Amino acid sequence: MITYESVTKIFGTGRDAVTALDNVSFTIPQGEIVVFLGPSGCGKTTTLRLTNRLETITRGNITIEDQNIMDMDAVELRQRLGYVIQAIGLFPNKTIAENIAVVPKLLGWDKERISKRIDDLLQMTNLEPELYRDRYPAELSGGQQQRVGVARGLAADPDILLMDEPFGAIDPINREEIQDEFLKLQAKLKKTVAFVSHDIHEAIKMGDRIAIFDRGRLVQYDTPEMILTQPKNKFVADFVGSDRALKVLGLMRVSDVINRRPKNIIRGGDNAKDALAFLDEKGFRYGIVIENDRPIGHVTPKTLKYENGPVRDLVEHYPLFLKERTSLRDVLSFMLMHDQVTFCALDENGRFAGTVTYNDIQKVVRESYADEAESGENEVSV
Amino acid sequence: MSTLRFMADNFDEVMFLSWEHIWIVGVALLIATPIGVILGIVITKHEQLASRVLNGANILMTIPSIALFGLMLPVLAIVNMGLGKVPAVIALILYSQLPIIRNTYTAIKNVPPSLVDAARGMGMDTWRRLRELEIPLATPVIIAGLRTAAVMNIGIAAIATYIGAGGLGVYIQQGIARVYPEMILSGAILVSLLAIIVDGGMAMLERLATPEGIKVQRKLSR
Repeated sequence: MITYESVTKIFGTGRDAVTALDNVSFTIPQGEIVVFLGPSGCGKTTTLRLTNRLETITRGNITIEDQNIMDMDAVELRQRLGYVIQAIGLFPNKTIAENIAVVPKLLGWDKERISKRIDDLLQMTNLEPELYRDRYPAELSGGQQQRVGVARGLAADPDILLMDEPFGAIDPINREEIQDEFLKLQAKLKKTVAFVSHDIHEAIKMGDRIAIFDRGRLVQYDTPEMILTQPKNKFVADFVGSDRALKVLGLMRVSDVINRRPKNIIRGGDNAKDALAFLDEKGFRYGIVIENDRPIGHVTPKTLKYENGPVRDLVEHYPLFLKERTSLRDVLSFMLMHDQVTFCALDENGRFAGTVTYNDIQKVVRESYADEAESGENEVSV
Repeated sequence: MSTLRFMADNFDEVMFLSWEHIWIVGVALLIATPIGVILGIVITKHEQLASRVLNGANILMTIPSIALFGLMLPVLAIVNMGLGKVPAVIALILYSQLPIIRNTYTAIKNVPPSLVDAARGMGMDTWRRLRELEIPLATPVIIAGLRTAAVMNIGIAAIATYIGAGGLGVYIQQGIARVYPEMILSGAILVSLLAIIVDGGMAMLERLATPEGIKVQRKLSR
């Protein structure tokens, strides 16, 4: 846990004084990733650098596990906190193994323990130890270098990780991949992470919480959902973008809106006439055809009309099926692409799990922004 | 041809004077290197001293060697060392400072700030950073400074013959006095040869001292 208490940082003195951070208070809970987000010069990096005392606090307190950092030795403090910066932070004169070994060596670990740790970390970050241990940073791609950067930050198994735009220097495709890998790692390791970013997408993806900074002030500190659905002011609303409804959908999964017991179910073996009567009677515009617990497609009154035979021969097949983990953003995209207002989701065994309709999605978005729509405030100029 | 014959006829003397020359330059460089490198490193950590130290070294460089010998003569005469090898070595030490200090300072300043930041952030103290990061990366440039100093000193040492320091300058000075062209040429050629050999040797050292990772980096970025 890291607690920031009325932290203020002023650079320079007298007339040249610049307030980089103004009375900022918040807490990073144990085991969570908190993303410090904002435009350049907003104070996010300063906040991070105050945490390991690369800069000195002007006023206020930072405590780590209830211990004031100013009471600790700066060098010892830094050895306790993992530190990851952009790929360029690897020492070019040291091999990958030597780079990872920096902090363990500072802590006086013995050779064998360090060597084992290096192999473990390389494996953890998907780099073949035999292949990479003795290479130099220059021989690795940007993405691989950043993996080593993460491994180096984790080397001494710190409880806390400070990451300064760690994936900023990597191309978008590799960035996605390494972000996913890091999240997977974090799910296991449960580190307390302070993560600086200027990218709202990254923040939403990586953060358990997001701290948005503007001109040295902490504007909003909240979960990604809350930041997207209830931005505190115009700055936050503008920063998260006018497409924030879509970003909210990116955070939600099929499992959040799924209808597990739709009423418009028809068996594959049913006769078309009966099925038509069923749809007409209930007023459904279509029916989902299920056979052996698997959805095989859907039928409308139009396709059933004048037909006589099992429904299974008449269905229009679905172009794809959803998983419970599929994001609603993707679902909406499928709906637009395939001109389809309903999709079926399958469970891990490929059995029918429920349906998601366009209306379901619209409803959750409307609910998310209910407050805003009512008050009429926070209007965003487009 | 006659110059070659002169050298062959006086082979023992040639060897002795060359040795003397190398000795003066070598001793001066051995003493100058730690002083210059340490000063260079110190001023990277104490920026307010940097311009003063560099200016001082710069001013030293502008003093003509003959004038410097003259200036030191009355001072060193007090301890009865106004003439001979001691003032020569001292002068060479002083002249070496600028290239050594400047190269050390620049090289360490040129270590990318992001690397220094990473090192600090991981908890390396100043000494550790110097030893494991800054000095290894700076070494080739520091050696380039030594190379400049060495080659320059080989030239200046030839003039030190006027204060009785010996060395290959003896041939040049006496050759002029006796109007003996073969002698002058022998001195000049041998001084040049020495400079070329030392330059080549130092260039090799520079390559050897380049960290493996940096060599790889250069090769790949080409």
